[in-house]
Amino acid sequence: MFEKDIAQLIRGLRAHKGNEREYIQEALKECRKEVKGQDMDQKAAALLKLVYLEMFGHDMSWASFNVLEVMSSQKYLQKRVGYLAAVQSFRPDTEVLMLAENLLKKDLKSADKATMTLPLTTIPHVINPSMANSLLIDLLPRLAHSDPRIRKKTIVTLYRLALVYPETLRPAWPKIKDRLLDDNEDPSVTAAIINVICELGWRRPQDFLPLAPRLFELLTIGGNNWMAIKIIKLFSILIPLEPRLVKKLVPPLTTLIKTTPAMSLLYECINGIIQGGIMETAEGSSESDDIARLCVKKLRAMLVVEGDPNLRYVALLAFAKITTSHADLVSQHQDVILECIDDADISIRTRALDLVVGMVNANNIQTVVERLLRQLRTSGKATASDEPVNDRGIHDGIIPMADEDEHEAMTTIRPKEPKSTQAPPLPDDYRVSVIERILDMCSKDTYASMNDFEWYIGVLLELVKQCPTIMSTSNPGNAIGLELLNVAVRVKAVRLEATTAAQSLLMLDSRLQLFPASTSGGHGVLASAAFIAGEYADMLTDPDAILTSLLHSSSSALPPDVLASYLQTIPKIFVRLAGDQLATWDSSRQSYVILLTARIVHFLEPLTLHPNLEVQERAVEYLDLMRLASEAASNHQTGTESDVPLLLSQAIPTLFSGSELNPVAQAAIRKVPQPEELDIDTPINGDLNMILSQADYDTDYADDDNEVYRMYHEKPTAALAKSQRTAAELLEPRDNSRASSYQDASSGELDLEAVERKKIERRERYKDDPYYIDSDRLSGTSTPMHNILRSANGEELDVDAIPVMELNLDSRDTASDPERARIAKPARKPKRQFEIAADETLGADEPPASLPNQASKLSLARGKKSLLEVDSSGLSALSLAESTDSRNGGTALDYERRRAEEEEMAKAMKEVERLRLEMQRAQERIQPQDADEDGTVVRRKKKKKARVEALSDQPPPDDTVAADEATVKKKKKKKRQEDESQPKEEQSQDVIEDIAPIKTKRKKKRQVVFDEDDAAE
Amino acid sequence: MINAVLVFNNNGQPRLTKFYTQLDTAVQQRLISEIFTLVSARPASSCNFLPLPPLLAPANTSASTAHNDAPSLVTYRHYATLYFIMISTSTESPLGLLDLIQVFVEALDRLFENVCELDLIFNFETLHAVLGEMIVGGVVVETGLETVVAGVKSQGRVAKRPVNEGRGGGLAQGIWAGR
Repeated sequence: MFEKDIAQLIRGLRAHKGNEREYIQEALKECRKEVKGQDMDQKAAALLKLVYLEMFGHDMSWASFNVLEVMSSQKYLQKRVGYLAAVQSFRPDTEVLMLAENLLKKDLKSADKATMTLPLTTIPHVINPSMANSLLIDLLPRLAHSDPRIRKKTIVTLYRLALVYPETLRPAWPKIKDRLLDDNEDPSVTAAIINVICELGWRRPQDFLPLAPRLFELLTIGGNNWMAIKIIKLFSILIPLEPRLVKKLVPPLTTLIKTTPAMSLLYECINGIIQGGIMETAEGSSESDDIARLCVKKLRAMLVVEGDPNLRYVALLAFAKITTSHADLVSQHQDVILECIDDADISIRTRALDLVVGMVNANNIQTVVERLLRQLRTSGKATASDEPVNDRGIHDGIIPMADEDEHEAMTTIRPKEPKSTQAPPLPDDYRVSVIERILDMCSKDTYASMNDFEWYIGVLLELVKQCPTIMSTSNPGNAIGLELLNVAVRVKAVRLEATTAAQSLLMLDSRLQLFPASTSGGHGVLASAAFIAGEYADMLTDPDAILTSLLHSSSSALPPDVLASYLQTIPKIFVRLAGDQLATWDSSRQSYVILLTARIVHFLEPLTLHPNLEVQERAVEYLDLMRLASEAASNHQTGTESDVPLLLSQAIPTLFSGSELNPVAQAAIRKVPQPEELDIDTPINGDLNMILSQADYDTDYADDDNEVYRMYHEKPTAALAKSQRTAAELLEPRDNSRASSYQDASSGELDLEAVERKKIERRERYKDDPYYIDSDRLSGTSTPMHNILRSANGEELDVDAIPVMELNLDSRDTASDPERARIAKPARKPKRQFEIAADETLGADEPPASLPNQASKLSLARGKKSLLEVDSSGLSALSLAESTDSRNGGTALDYERRRAEEEEMAKAMKEVERLRLEMQRAQERIQPQDADEDGTVVRRKKKKKARVEALSDQPPPDDTVAADEATVKKKKKKKRQEDESQPKEEQSQDVIEDIAPIKTKRKKKRQVVFDEDDAAE
Repeated sequence: MINAVLVFNNNGQPRLTKFYTQLDTAVQQRLISEIFTLVSARPASSCNFLPLPPLLAPANTSASTAHNDAPSLVTYRHYATLYFIMISTSTESPLGLLDLIQVFVEALDRLFENVCELDLIFNFETLHAVLGEMIVGGVVVETGLETVVAGVKSQGRVAKRPVNEGRGGGLAQGIWAGR
């Protein structure tokens, strides 16, 4: 049979350029055959080939059993292949894992150090909690192995064990700690322990505080920069728990910063000082000033150093960490940091961008933003071909193999370089993130550092132009629009400018210029711009032009959310144009209004069939309104005397006017106090079920007392007497002559008193039913909220009487009293010449994070593990400090107990096996004629033994085993007798050795059959 | 800790993949190709830290703070025809990892004498062995060049690349070429 080793496979691949896929399929087929064969060398070679191909994405999980076979080989080199295959191919769902357990245990006890290393390095990859429990016993003694290489690998393996099975640390930690404290321990083992502690440390820093003296000692001895880095990282975690460490650490760290030649150590010292909060805890003292200055000086030097972008990158990282506490210190180095924003390297740029956001204040915000804007302007927008995704067909997966010519490879990569250094086109996601950062910076803390809103509106307009052309997942246009809206609403002083800006965005010609492509990311801004234009229509300089732009036929093609906003804006601007009360109603005005309505109707009509429901609904509503308006306008008599039709001057404007819209805090609605008498739990009607069942049968509606009947069939009769008229109604501009006349109309010759009584009764009954619409009240005030507030506050205070609710976030004392808070005069934070309206809210300000949906999202994010993450959360539950002393006894006990349990288990297994054998023999005696079945049983046992022999004393060539098997077959009957006489211990021992592989038995049997066949040949 | 070590060449052909968590083969391949896409687009003058590839990017940026278990750092080095990549959490030092890659490559150079990509293709088992001496289960156990080399040598003879291979110079060019 043709077979090839790994080198031949690779050579073959290299020779088959162009049709690697076929070649690989062929090779996989061969491997499949070879790996199932009997020749161990061939098996191992095939497995190595599979591992190689696995690297290219060819799944080899099907071979997991064969992996196990090769792992159990006696030859080290074969074993190594098996272990490598296990590391590379075993997944959490690999079934043979439990079978590997015994093998791992055995190899851990191997006399050969190289063999022993194999399970040590493999266990971290395949471990699961149940396995960890049983392997622990075998791993612990390795901590005391004479070879430091074994010791340090054991330590790390134990750490990985602890991650899945935290109990590991109970017996293991005291031993590891002893190793650490031992001065004579091999330095590389100490370093490995430090590495492990560094991993454990951030989960339970308090447990490692007692080690501080030793760690300090190791740090000052020096000699190993790798270890020093980790120790400093550890200390930065410990310092918050033990502030006294600061005093102790500052001198050695300062010396290190000043003297070390290793840049990595220098950086980690600075990083440790920052992370450990040394700069804060020692604040005020001259020493801390010194060290802070030293750190920042070094970081600055790292930024300006020529030719090492890595240092720039990490320096920016460190700077970013300082900004939270020492923003002023960082902004002193604004000059060098801003240089990094224009760095050719996108990683550095992104870091600088992050940093800049934290760094801005009222003084430098304009400089920073201008700088970012300039970057957006000067670097052209990325074209589709610049997208790395489209650049190479890499997402089709890696095309297997065959090394291409080296020079070819060079040519595909090199041309990118000059382009990216010359005029780097910004990738879209970077562009989007710059825009988002600018918005973040400017709006931080409700525009805390903003002192020129006119400038800001200009920036927003500029940003719209800089939106990436390609629609990405995040749409910066929306965010820009919301900012514009926010400014327009919050800052009255620049509302006019904001409206003008919105107007310029909405204009048709500028729209074509700003958003050339129909998929432009900037489109989102239009929704907000339209809203501003509608809401502040009075401020529009050219409402006619805006309306024309809005009604342009191209508007229908806008995204639904923008279109919906347009539809809402159109009637508002119509009101502005047509609803002027003072102007005379002459024929020119009449025709103008009719023309306007005709244009609007023309625009709306096709939209009533729009697929988006929101658009459809608004279109239908306003279409009818416009038709009404048109009718009213054309029917209304013109002349100098006559007034503007009421529908135009009163009715439609009231749809859109009223109290001003103010920003409301996110959590405000939840703070509206719930009235005590509001009982949501009691059913409105206790007999609902009975009524329903009655309704099924009862076709006689004559029963007037039936509540349900009355509710559904009796027309609510309007009342004349307004006994419960609210103050709000009185306050409202009395244009409801129309409304009251509707009410009056229905009042006929009915017995008014009886009706009134009934109505009061009903109102009493339904007063808390949010779904009951009281015909007495105007629709605007019939909301349950109104009811609730009124009943909570009593009659003397009517909420509707309060014109505008505006609350001050800062006045916590008044906020504690919800009623006073609600009446509180609008208090505004003066900010230079601008007033910025704060969010309205009730009661004390709550962090918005407490919103339930956000909280759940947060927990969701927590639940979702990052791809490569090794979860160590299990460790946080286990205290090491306790285990060191008081629990020591317990630990030993635990350990002992487990060992005892294992022994007991083994004993029990022996017993079971003995009984089984006895039964088997009894059965044999009873049915001696059924030789076949017996034979199977006996043979299986025998075979297994043979197999184990084959595995354990390797060199025995296979043919001897086969011969053995052959004899077994021949002397089946004899064997049976032998079997009976065989000493029990040997058998049971045999069984114990393979407690787990119950499943293997069948497989092994099959193999043995092969053996026999071979022998037969 | 270190979450993964990858080596691939200028065309994205993997030469070594080692994930310290169990990951589906298909996902591994996607991750490799994502990182390759990121890394191959970078000019030689840029720094050696990559932004997180989409697969590793935290789903919620606000939740990722102080979450040390998740990988947050992708460090790479480019040697001649090969990219060496390490994905790690925040407990590793970024500059330290760069040095670690250097030690790794130097160890390979010592074992193969003027190591080149071909050596690594044909002896990828040795490549794994070297890595196994330096990193176990994602934790660095050895950084000393001599100890690493000695550790690998103690496991057996390190094969040389086949003599007839590497004609045309391309791949047989030392890994240090161009540095």
